[in-house]
Amino acid sequence: MSRVVVVTSGKGGVGKTTTSASFSTGLALKGYKVAVIDFDVGLRNLDLIMGCERRVVYDFVNVVQGEASLQQALIKDKRVPNLFILAASQTRDKDALTLEGVEKVIEDLKEAGFDYIICDSPAGIEKGAQLALYFADEALIVTNPEVSSVRDSDRILGILQAKSKRAEKGEAPIVEHLVLTRYNPNRVETGEMLSVEDVIDLLSVPLLGAIPESEDVLNASNAGAPVVLDENSAAAQAYADVVDRFLGEEVEHRFLTVEKKGLFKKLFGK
Amino acid sequence: MNKVIDLKGSILSLTVLKLFSNDIEQTKQALEQKVSQAPDFFVGIPVVLEPEVGNLDPTFLALLVELLHQKQMIPIGIRTEDESIKEQANYAGLAVFSGEAKVKKRPKPEKSDQKENCSGLKSAMVINHAVRSGQQVYAKDRDLIVMGSVNPGAEIIADGNVHVYGTVRGKVFAGSQGETSARIFAQKIDAELVCIAGLYQLSEDILPEYKQGFVEVSLLNEQLNFKPL
Repeated sequence: MSRVVVVTSGKGGVGKTTTSASFSTGLALKGYKVAVIDFDVGLRNLDLIMGCERRVVYDFVNVVQGEASLQQALIKDKRVPNLFILAASQTRDKDALTLEGVEKVIEDLKEAGFDYIICDSPAGIEKGAQLALYFADEALIVTNPEVSSVRDSDRILGILQAKSKRAEKGEAPIVEHLVLTRYNPNRVETGEMLSVEDVIDLLSVPLLGAIPESEDVLNASNAGAPVVLDENSAAAQAYADVVDRFLGEEVEHRFLTVEKKGLFKKLFGK
Repeated sequence: MNKVIDLKGSILSLTVLKLFSNDIEQTKQALEQKVSQAPDFFVGIPVVLEPEVGNLDPTFLALLVELLHQKQMIPIGIRTEDESIKEQANYAGLAVFSGEAKVKKRPKPEKSDQKENCSGLKSAMVINHAVRSGQQVYAKDRDLIVMGSVNPGAEIIADGNVHVYGTVRGKVFAGSQGETSARIFAQKIDAELVCIAGLYQLSEDILPEYKQGFVEVSLLNEQLNFKPL
């Protein structure tokens, strides 16, 4: 039984694509067959973060418009088996996507035996974002601990509850999960950032995990490897926890409080 | 492709001229006196006549219509149940509106809550989840109960009372059809705007002490009155 998971946020630049890359890689590492689709037509980024930008021959729009087959367009990840990427087109815009076309791609992926189909949503609440979430069974709401991001997430949650296929057909609602990115407990303590509790209180969505703010995330993006693969990084561990919790494991939340650094770490640690 | 015409029902606000006398001279004097107080105001306004007396002289309506035209008002119709007056109205070229009795009924149920409760007033609309940014909920002709929070950028509107068992961070409107006895009850109010029957306060005008706990908002002397519960 395949599940369609949308990674969305409303606001741009909060870490949707980073989360999509690490989340799909994490699921594939667990042995599931995963496809990750970049819905951000015109501003493709996912292939960069996944490090496959030089291997894109056909893209999502080509498949939607029938110019290429799904098999031709799916890019197999070189590091993790069972992980496939469907890149966005850089030259087209979001009008190139149609509801029927997207539905066909998702149905074909399900038939091809993918366990998880991850839809990396573009920012905003317009057509691209609505198409990305329309067929979702579950949603990862990516939010920064900051008021405008939280408000935009609230807005997209409303759209999830009103404009998804499940909502329109009156089926069981989309399962919502909160992923708090760029979380910095130090700045929460000084009052510069909203705390986990504040965000959960505002959004009333259960927390799947908080990803600590980390240089490793940017480094990993630049290197074209999902941060989850960098096992020493706190962000990677947090993403691994997110995957575990998503799969139903009980994992205690980490990285939510200020870490007390010992003298040794102060001198030599990051 | 473009529509040439479109026929639609619409509710307009009209001036009603109530007539308490069937003497045309008396009526004429009273009208002239009224108009002289603010001559510009009456120019071009549509007027509906409403005789509160019977036994109108057969020429009464025709004379009155003529007089109103002189005063640059536009009589368009008459509201009456009296058959003889209806007949006269036909001759005078006035539209006949049915009597006020039916129309009056509408504001009544809102005012006498208790009585109407027994006779099947619409039960409250219940929202079991949070109302999110960009969402709008309108409970027409009834109360609204929200079990979750009302988030920033959301709007909840009721013609009756509003109850929120969460925090109100968006906008909240009670008595939106003008019911001044409507109230707002909330677990916590940190609203962008609180409004009862068109009288409102913005977040910055609400004293911080009312933003702490359970609070009731009502109208008192045309002002919002916050009362911690």
